[in-house]
Amino acid sequence: MIWLNNVTKTYPNGSRGVEDLNLHIEKGDFVFIVGSSGSGKSTLIKLLLKELEPTSGDITINRVKTNELGRNQVPYLRRNLGVVFQDFRLLPNKTVYENVAFAMRVIEAPNRIIRRNVPAVLALVGLGKKGRSYPNQLSGGEQQRTALARAIVNNPPILICDEPTGNLDPETAWGIMQLLDDINKRGTTIVMATHARDIVDDMQKRVVTLKQGHIVRDIKKGGYCDEA
Amino acid sequence: MRPSTIKYFLREGLSGLKKNLLMTMASIVAVMACISIMSFSYCVASNLQHILQQMEDSIGISVFIGGNPTSQEIEDMKSRISEIDHVLDVQYISPGDALEELKADWGADEDIFVGLDDSNNPLSHSFQITLDKIESQNSVLDALKGIDGIDNIRHGQTETELIMKASRVFNIAGVLVMLILGIISVMIIMNTIRISVVNRRVEINIMKYVGATDWFIRWPFIIEGVIIGVVGAIIPLLIGIPIYAKVISALYSYFPVIKIIQFRLVGDIFIVLFPMALLFGILLGIIGSVTSIRKHLRV
Repeated sequence: MIWLNNVTKTYPNGSRGVEDLNLHIEKGDFVFIVGSSGSGKSTLIKLLLKELEPTSGDITINRVKTNELGRNQVPYLRRNLGVVFQDFRLLPNKTVYENVAFAMRVIEAPNRIIRRNVPAVLALVGLGKKGRSYPNQLSGGEQQRTALARAIVNNPPILICDEPTGNLDPETAWGIMQLLDDINKRGTTIVMATHARDIVDDMQKRVVTLKQGHIVRDIKKGGYCDEA
Repeated sequence: MRPSTIKYFLREGLSGLKKNLLMTMASIVAVMACISIMSFSYCVASNLQHILQQMEDSIGISVFIGGNPTSQEIEDMKSRISEIDHVLDVQYISPGDALEELKADWGADEDIFVGLDDSNNPLSHSFQITLDKIESQNSVLDALKGIDGIDNIRHGQTETELIMKASRVFNIAGVLVMLILGIISVMIIMNTIRISVVNRRVEINIMKYVGATDWFIRWPFIIEGVIIGVVGAIIPLLIGIPIYAKVISALYSYFPVIKIIQFRLVGDIFIVLFPMALLFGILLGIIGSVTSIRKHLRV
């Protein structure tokens, strides 16, 4: 599903994001990317989203070499990738329902499908009754659930999460993790960058540890690594 | 494109304009100024052109012959004048014909010519020369000076030259002012759209992450620009129509002399001006919005 071959990203100011990364993520995997600040987690996420171009090496997502994609094709690549951020990034002037429907509207989904899928996804993330609320009327956990609903409403095969629990208390965070686990069990590949040691230890999934732009550890099933 | 998508673009475009009302107004006023100047210079230039055309049709050169030429001399002179380049037609007018014409021109006041008849007619024999175009007047005049027996030549040269010059000056000045105002309008529209883009940068950011195409993101802003352009063009046109009609009728009533020339009709002017101004307004709007979104699309 996702292949990284000798991927290096050097920023224009000379600082190194990641160096010579080789990583293969299979369909249906749940992968934690862990590491301290500056280890290259964010760079890796941005490379996957094609927000950044690798300086060398190539990235293949869903059998498409992303470095060969033209600017016009990037939107179609991103339709395969749901994204969740630490800061939720909801539109404050739209309701929960509209925030989720927005993701479908911008890829020009028919109204009929929007009306069918949005309530279903809201029910899935446990916000069935919050459709008319505005983001500022929701708790942090509910806001992240809304963001999650928005990320999966178009049914992307891959979900990329950048510190999705970073702004949440442990209990709420745990709720989100269970939701992600459910989504993963339905067949969605999940790549999640995180600092949260407890979560990684409890989930017992694949863990890729980055340090100074290199992969220093990659275990099929395990916990957080102290080296990082 | 789906109807629901088009509706979405329109709604987003309008809401962008509303959120940013002051700048929207400023942009509309800028476009209005530009379109007003364009309309004004078009009205003037088009009328001058129209008048010039009427003069080309009516004004030729009149040649007067002194004394009492014989009919043979008149025939000779007529054929010599006809041979000059650019002369389309030569008409002989006898003193008697001229008197009749004069009486007809004065209409009700023809009494002042009472007592004048063929025996004491003070008018001369003359030729009325029609030219192919107004620009050939000078060369024909030169050629006429070489013909003996001509007493006096009268022509509308100075008037036509003046009108030609005025129309040229108006055309150039109009285009120049329009260009300057056009650039100012585009800059103000760019600023307005840029504020709208900045207001929506979170939205644009999310749109990019969920896979919206660049064009999908652009459309609402282009629609904002187009709305500014259309409103900015239509207002001065709607105000302009009655003003033009008023000015024309005022000119006719204050200066009865100019009844001999015809101004362009309101319909004739605006059937050209309306689409022209609308198109120009839309163009200003599109240029303004496209240039300002371009650099904000990179995510």
